[in-house]
Amino acid sequence: MSDSEEHHFESKADAGASKTYPQQAGTIRKSGHIVIKNRPCKVVEVSTSKTGKHGHAKCHFVAIDIFNGKKLEDIVPSSHNCDVPHVNRTDYQLIDISEDGFVSLLTESGGTKDDLKLPSDEALLTQIKDGFGEGKDLIVTVMSAMGEEQICALKDIGPKN
Amino acid sequence: MQGFPGGAPDPQQLQATMLAIEQACSLIQVHMNPSEAEKVISSLHSSLMPYQACRFILETSHVPNARFQAAGAIGDAAVREWGILSDDNKRSLIAYCLNYVMEHASSPEGYVQAKVSAVAARLLKRGWVDFPDQEKSAIFFEVEHSIRGIHGPNRQFAAINFVEALVSEFSPATASAMGLPKEFHEQCEWTLEVKFMKDFYCWAQAAVFNAADSILSGNASIDEEKACSAAFRLMFQILSWSFKYNVEHANSETKIDSGLRSDAINLKKFERSLVKPGSMWSDILISSGHTTWVLNFYTTARQKYSYDPLWFDSPIAASCRQLIVQLCSLAGSVFPNDSGDAHINHLMHILSAVVLWIEPPDVIASSIRNGASESEFLDGCHALLSIASFTTSLLFDNLLKSIRHYGTINLLSALTSEAVKSFVDNQNEEETWGSDALDISLEIWNVILGDFDADKSPMSVDGAIAASNLFKIIVESHLKAAADSAFEDTDDAEYFHVSVSKRDEQLALYAQIARSAADTTIPFLAQLFSERFARLSQTNGENDPTQTLEELYWLLLITSHVLTDSGEGETLLIPEALQAGFPNVVEVAQHPVVTLSWSIINFSRQCLDPGIRARYFSPRLMEAVIWFLARWVATYLVPLDVSRGQVSRAEIDNVDKHGFQHSRKVLNSFAWENNQGELVLDFVVLISMVALTTYQGENELQTLICQKLLATVVRRKHTCTFIVQLDSWRDLTRAFASGRSLFSLSGRLQRSLAETLACAASCIKDPEASVQYLKDLMGPVAGCLVENASRSDLKSVAQKADVVFMVCCLLERLRGAARATQPRTQKVLFEMGHTVMNSLLTLLEVYKNQSAVIYMILKFVVDFVDGQAVFLDSNETSVLVNFCLRLLQIYSSHNIGKVMLSLSSSLRNELQAEKYKDLRALLRLLTNICSKDLVGFLSDSSIEGSQDIAEVIYVGLDIVTPLISLDLLKYPKLSRDYFALVSHLLEVYPEKVANLNNDAFARIIGSLEFGLCNQDSDVVERCLTAVNALASYHFKERLGGRGGLSSQLMESEGSNGTLQESISSHFLRLMLQLLLFEDFRMELAGSAADALLPLLLCEHGLYQGLVQELLEKQQNPTVKSRLAMAFHNLTNSNNLSSLLDRPNRQRFRKNLRAFLGDISGFMQIK
Repeated sequence: MSDSEEHHFESKADAGASKTYPQQAGTIRKSGHIVIKNRPCKVVEVSTSKTGKHGHAKCHFVAIDIFNGKKLEDIVPSSHNCDVPHVNRTDYQLIDISEDGFVSLLTESGGTKDDLKLPSDEALLTQIKDGFGEGKDLIVTVMSAMGEEQICALKDIGPKN
Repeated sequence: MQGFPGGAPDPQQLQATMLAIEQACSLIQVHMNPSEAEKVISSLHSSLMPYQACRFILETSHVPNARFQAAGAIGDAAVREWGILSDDNKRSLIAYCLNYVMEHASSPEGYVQAKVSAVAARLLKRGWVDFPDQEKSAIFFEVEHSIRGIHGPNRQFAAINFVEALVSEFSPATASAMGLPKEFHEQCEWTLEVKFMKDFYCWAQAAVFNAADSILSGNASIDEEKACSAAFRLMFQILSWSFKYNVEHANSETKIDSGLRSDAINLKKFERSLVKPGSMWSDILISSGHTTWVLNFYTTARQKYSYDPLWFDSPIAASCRQLIVQLCSLAGSVFPNDSGDAHINHLMHILSAVVLWIEPPDVIASSIRNGASESEFLDGCHALLSIASFTTSLLFDNLLKSIRHYGTINLLSALTSEAVKSFVDNQNEEETWGSDALDISLEIWNVILGDFDADKSPMSVDGAIAASNLFKIIVESHLKAAADSAFEDTDDAEYFHVSVSKRDEQLALYAQIARSAADTTIPFLAQLFSERFARLSQTNGENDPTQTLEELYWLLLITSHVLTDSGEGETLLIPEALQAGFPNVVEVAQHPVVTLSWSIINFSRQCLDPGIRARYFSPRLMEAVIWFLARWVATYLVPLDVSRGQVSRAEIDNVDKHGFQHSRKVLNSFAWENNQGELVLDFVVLISMVALTTYQGENELQTLICQKLLATVVRRKHTCTFIVQLDSWRDLTRAFASGRSLFSLSGRLQRSLAETLACAASCIKDPEASVQYLKDLMGPVAGCLVENASRSDLKSVAQKADVVFMVCCLLERLRGAARATQPRTQKVLFEMGHTVMNSLLTLLEVYKNQSAVIYMILKFVVDFVDGQAVFLDSNETSVLVNFCLRLLQIYSSHNIGKVMLSLSSSLRNELQAEKYKDLRALLRLLTNICSKDLVGFLSDSSIEGSQDIAEVIYVGLDIVTPLISLDLLKYPKLSRDYFALVSHLLEVYPEKVANLNNDAFARIIGSLEFGLCNQDSDVVERCLTAVNALASYHFKERLGGRGGLSSQLMESEGSNGTLQESISSHFLRLMLQLLLFEDFRMELAGSAADALLPLLLCEHGLYQGLVQELLEKQQNPTVKSRLAMAFHNLTNSNNLSSLLDRPNRQRFRKNLRAFLGDISGFMQIK
């Protein structure tokens, strides 16, 4: 019981390591992340039940794909591990929106990132385009997980000078 | 008809109106364009003088719905136009309605007749005060004749129906609105009760009496039966009236000696209350033998119709039984002021008739199972319950003995067993008669066993035997059900919790029965346990133990209830029934409670053996074991001084009952003897460790450990001082501080565990040891957070899921510890918080896009400030305040102007919900910081510190208010927090408000207005406090010759359009509106007075003007003069001065209360 090692963050800094991390199902809470059917999701509902009255607990997850918004469900024994995706969110300054639907972003190191496509959804698209069109200085937050990327938030930091 | 209102009718127009209404009614019925149709109908209701049209429809239309609407329209229009109708008009409308119901008495559409009756009743009430007595008598003369049956059964029925409508119209709960003051309704209620109610009852009695013969001989027509059951219903309704104007005689000693309870219970659970019509009713209800007559009538009829199983549910049988049950609840001065004999006789009479409905229970129950009606049986149970609520258990038991060779409790026991059997058999079905009957019969047990005079009249011997037998049947039925259901899956968690509380309630009632015969039931339980323990040890892995496990699960639950009370948060005592229940037991080893306790605990101990644990300690069984242990430890590990004190005091009281006292002493001290107590506590820690580490993912079980068992042990000082000295406890804390095993718990549980472990520090006697304990416990946690937050590669690893999880766990632990702040541990915990402050700011930056971490950081700071605020000196305060300021700045820089984009609406809602939670946390934080300032202010701390605080709060408010919209304020929790903060802020720093910019000011004032009209009286109170603060500040400033808040103008709706006015005039207008025209709650009068006084003083001129305006608007001269008087008294009585000192505020509070009382009669109308 008395293993007296210190708690360190175990992840190594090397990029390209696994895209997910195993975590006990019982500790995953509402609004946490989870991988279901190989898709990164956000949990919107957790309920528990038992297999037979004297069996072990199992968790029932209802979750939403963080990229395409689809609803997914899964049942896992609560002592088992689930895959939890590494979800990264990075802020960039928006430099340009190109004709072919790509954005040009300024990275922290001063370089540009030009490989991100605008969302296809009309409503989101207009929100970004309108803000940019009005000449506001915009910061976009790009969410990435399991090899996919998407703009997930937008912040106005004042008019362009 | 003479005097019928409305001009000469134009036949064509009448026809057209009727067609329109008929069409609208049929459209509504088929759901075609209902809003259009409703408009047509409501235009009839609101049109001017629609009486002729309505009459035409009532008399000619073939569409019953149209007639129904026409009747309603008459009522609405007449009440509205009452002032312009002549006396003749009014009379003729009532007469018309009454004649209509009489003439159409045989009409098949009962609801139309009922509506017309109700309209007649409503109009009669409207004119009740104006009409002279002889006019009312004339109306009632006719009604009486009809009710007595002179004009045949149809008219009889119609007349009874009318009186029913009248009684419900006059009863405050069911009265319809008339736009008249409360006083009017009260006056009507009074005259009806005192002058008419008894007559009504007599008429109904006569109606039943006249019909009885033909009903009993089987010759009654359907109409006669209908009228008769209506009469029964009316009698029932009259007895349900809440009688107010009667005189009760004082409780006499002799009455109590007779076995009647001095504390007759109102059975709220079944919506029944005592019927106290007063001595005026004695003659017709008691001395005339009325009850006996009704009982005989029912008994004869049920015999006569026993061949017909449907009869028991017929209206006449049902209404007659209802009346009988209501007669059971008669109480008070309706019985002569004797030693209670009349009342007891009355109850005995009823019981002797009712007993036929419920006896023998097994035969009746089996016939119900075969399809017979259960209503008579259930009514019988209800009657029994009413009787029990009047009697002590001894008298209750004896009531039956005069006609049977056994007591009532015996019967009750048999009846309850049938109910239990039926309930258990049909557990999975919705609402069965078994569960209804069980609910009622358990309530009866509760009433007779919960009698607080129980000492004076203990349960008789056969009563105890009956209870003991019943408990056996209960246990056996439930064990069988448990074994049968062992393989079912458990329910979904949410539903589960509801059913758990219902189940616990039921188990507690069972336990009460068990305790009343503890000397037999406890050994019985012990025997059942030992049988099952033996069965388990024999299984050896060959047979499936599941059924036995489920039986043990149920046994553990019921035994916990029998041995202990639930008493959340109270100091638990060993149940009195158990202390007194074993007078002959002197040897500890022979005390059934002792042996039962040890056998369960010894069994539980086996779970420490991994092999046995794997074989049969399922998570569910562990849950029951943990739950049992928590309750047992809280009850039986009695603080030593208490247990000694109790016994010695008792010894002085009662030297004679030596054995009796000895058995008490045994029970109070056995748990600590021979080091048993320490062993149990050690076991508690060991079992907790096992459950936390080897039952991975069993959240229910682990929650019970952290929040119930460990929390119970730590919360009690006498157990906590023992536990902190144990080696096992040291192992647990070490595992928590530096092991990895407990990181597998969910975040919330790590928080509770941290809180519990940190709490224990205050029970370590040596202060240094206590500090060291906390350092050892939380040092590694804080250290880990700091070390990792300062890593150079933080940015690249921070977003990894495992790192996020770890950070959350550490934050949860810190938060748990922060919640455990106590005077002795505050310093250490502040240091802990201090060391992580910079790291938290780093993490806030790094995780700005991880809402879960941000929320966790905010919540930690909220709890940290809450725990620490009161203790800090000025240096520490400024450290804390600077930290909070930076936290707020960073949070705001990340969040202002941020728009979340997401494809999925539910994800967007989730994000919104997260922001909402952040906001609440921020509000909490600001409020907590404020509370520091209040304390600092009282203890006269340095001025520098307090300015810092004001700044933080205003920065905070600047961040928070733009994010809070009026829509968000509709969420009660958020709005409560927000208004708590704003009112506090305005009280403490009104001068800062004066310097706010216009936008910010308008936002605050706007939200105050919103809050004043809120439903939640807490919120309104806070807003009133805020208004008071603002206005008082303004007044004082102006008194001192300064401007106060004059620079802040508000737009408001004045009598002549929008105008710009000062903030005080604005709120003055608002307050008067609120007090005079809204449904103002009296409990807020004090704060309203405090807010109104400074406003009055600031804006005296405007106030006079507004009052004048109000008075001129009043048409009615009496109202006008009363209102003027009330206003005059408000400002002139009690020597009110123009100061804002305390005495003057007190005087004004008094004045305002009187004022509100004065005007409530005529301004706030129903």
